Amino acid sequence: MQVWTKLFAKSPFKPLIKHAEVVVQTVETLEKALDLWAKGDYEEMAKYAIEVDRLEDVADRIKMELRNSITSKLLMPVQRTDILEYLHMQDKVADAAEDTAKWLIVKKEPQIPNEIKEVILKMGKESIKAAKLVYEAIKQMDTVVESGFSEKEIEKEYEIIRQIEEVENKIDGLDTKLMMLVFNNHLDWTDGLYILNIARTLSNISDKAKDAAERIRIMMNK
Amino acid sequence: MAWAIGANDAANSMSTAVGAGAITPRQAVLIAGVLEFTGAYFFGKSVTETIRKGIIDPSKITDPNVLIYGSIAALLGATIWLVIATKYGLPVSTTHSIIGGIVGYGIVYAGTSIVNWGKMAKVVMSWILSPIVGAIFAFFIFKAITRTVLQSQDPIKSAKRWSPFWIGLAFVVIGTMFYLKVLHGKSLFVGIVKFGIPVGIITFIIVTLILKVRFPKVDPYLGAEAIFRRVQVITSGYVALAHGANDVANAIGPVAAVYTIATMGMAGAKVPVPRWILALGGLGIAIGVATYGYRVMETVGKKITELTNTRGFTIDFSAATVVLIASWLGMPISTTHTVVGAVIGVGLARGIKAINKDIVKDIIISWFVTVPTAGVISAIIFKGLMLIVG
Repeated sequence: MQVWTKLFAKSPFKPLIKHAEVVVQTVETLEKALDLWAKGDYEEMAKYAIEVDRLEDVADRIKMELRNSITSKLLMPVQRTDILEYLHMQDKVADAAEDTAKWLIVKKEPQIPNEIKEVILKMGKESIKAAKLVYEAIKQMDTVVESGFSEKEIEKEYEIIRQIEEVENKIDGLDTKLMMLVFNNHLDWTDGLYILNIARTLSNISDKAKDAAERIRIMMNK
Repeated sequence: MAWAIGANDAANSMSTAVGAGAITPRQAVLIAGVLEFTGAYFFGKSVTETIRKGIIDPSKITDPNVLIYGSIAALLGATIWLVIATKYGLPVSTTHSIIGGIVGYGIVYAGTSIVNWGKMAKVVMSWILSPIVGAIFAFFIFKAITRTVLQSQDPIKSAKRWSPFWIGLAFVVIGTMFYLKVLHGKSLFVGIVKFGIPVGIITFIIVTLILKVRFPKVDPYLGAEAIFRRVQVITSGYVALAHGANDVANAIGPVAAVYTIATMGMAGAKVPVPRWILALGGLGIAIGVATYGYRVMETVGKKITELTNTRGFTIDFSAATVVLIASWLGMPISTTHTVVGAVIGVGLARGIKAINKDIVKDIIISWFVTVPTAGVISAIIFKGLMLIVG
C-alpha cells in the first residue's frame, strides 16, 4: 500500500501551518540572540544568529515546495493567488528575522546605552508575539475551512487578526521611541546606524505579520 | 469481466470511506469483497436481459452463433477496456462498457440500424446528467449539514440534535434503495413505506440513544466527524451490497446468453440464470476488489481530494439519493458518475480543501471514450472470431 501514502497531504493548509511553525522558531531563536546581545556575549549570540539563518533556509525550502504543489491543477476553497501571496508574506517574517540576525553580527562590542537595549528587547518580545499570532491565524484558517466557513470560526479569525494589528501598532510605537533615543543620546554614527537598522528589521517582522493577516482576511471575504 | 467489475466499479463504493480515513484499504477490500459477493449471489437478478437494456435489436440476429460470439466479444471488449481504465485509476461505468461492447459487435454484424439510438441517446445523457445532478445534490446537502451541525453556536449540542436526523434521513433512502435495488422491488411507494421510513426511524432512535449515553468529548468538529465515521462504514457497505446485486448482471448477462444457447440451442430474450453462474460472477467481483480495487479507491478517495467523514457521508448520501430519484423518474444514471459528481459538489461548497482538476478532467474524458473504445475492441474481437469460425 505504498502508493497510498504518497498521495497524502493534498491540502495546502497543512504545509502552510508547517511553514508558520518554522517561522515562529526563527523568530524565537532571534529573540535568544537578542538576549545574549544585550548581555554582551558576542560569541554565543553569533551562534544563535547563524541558527536563525539556517531556519530561514528551512522556511524557504518549504515555501518552494508549496509553490510547486499549489498549481492551477487544484480546486481549492480559497483563491490560489491569495494562498501564494499569504505564503510570500509569512516567509517575509522569517526573512526580516534573518535580516535582524545579520545586523546583530556585523558589529562587535558596540557601545549601546541600556535604555536603548531595553527597547530593542521589548521589540524582540513583541515580534515573537506577532509570529505566534500568525501561526494561530493560519491554524484557525484551517478550522474555518473545516467548518465550511462558519460565522463563529470566522469571528475567531478576525479576533486573531485584530491582535496582530495591535502588536504591530505597539512595535511601531517602540520604533519611534527608539529613533528619538538614538538621536538624543548623540551616539557615534556607526552605532546609530547599527541600532536603527536593527530596529527597522525588527519592526519589519510585525509589519509582514500584519500583511500576512491581511491576506487571511481576504481569503475569508471571498 | 466480473473480475474487472470488482476491480473498477466495486472499489468505488468503499473509496469515500477509505479516503475519509474511516477504514483502512485492507479492511475496505475485505468488507467490499464479502458484501459484493453476498449482493451478487443472494440478491443478484435471477433473470437477466440477454441484450443489456435493449440497446440493440435481437430480432436482427438470426444466427444463434452470432449471439454467442458477439456476447464473448462484448464481454472481452468491455473487460479489456475496464482493465485499461483501472490501470490508470479511472472510475468508469461498467454498464457503459458492456453497452459499448454490445453496440460494437452489433454494428459490425448488422450495421448501424441494429442500434436503438433512442436508448443510446439516453445513455449519453446519463454521462452528462449523473455527475451534474450528483454535484448539485451534494452541494446542497453539504451546505445543509454545515449549517445545522458545523456552523451553529454550539456545535456539540447541534451535532447531538441534528446528526440523528441526517443519518436517519440517509437510512430512509438506503432502506428504500435496498428494496428497489437489492430485492428488486417494483413500487417506490412500497419501498419508502415498508423499508425506508421504518429503517430511518429505527436508525434515528438508535443514534439518538447512543449520542445521549456517550458523545466523543473532543473538539466539536472532531466530535461530529467521529459520529459520521461510524455511519460511513455502513453506508459504504450498503453501496457495495447494492452494487453486487445489480452489476453482476453486466458480467453475467452475456455469459448466461451463451450458456442458454449452448444448452438449449436457442436465443431467448429473457434467460433464467443458474445460481452457479451468479456465484461465479460474485466470486469474480470479490476477487477483483481484492486484487485490483485499491487502484480506483486511490483515485476517488485520495487523488480527487482529501475527505473528512462528514464530507464522505454527504457524498454517499447524495449519490444514493440521486440514484434513487433517478430510477424513480426512469432516468438512466450511473452510480460511478454520480459519486464523482458529488465529490466535486462538496468541493464547490467549499467543504474540501483541494480537488485535483487534472484528475477530474481525465475521468470525464474516460467516460466519453468508454462506449466507443469498448465498442471498437469488441468489434475487432467479433470480426476475428467470425473469421476463425467461419
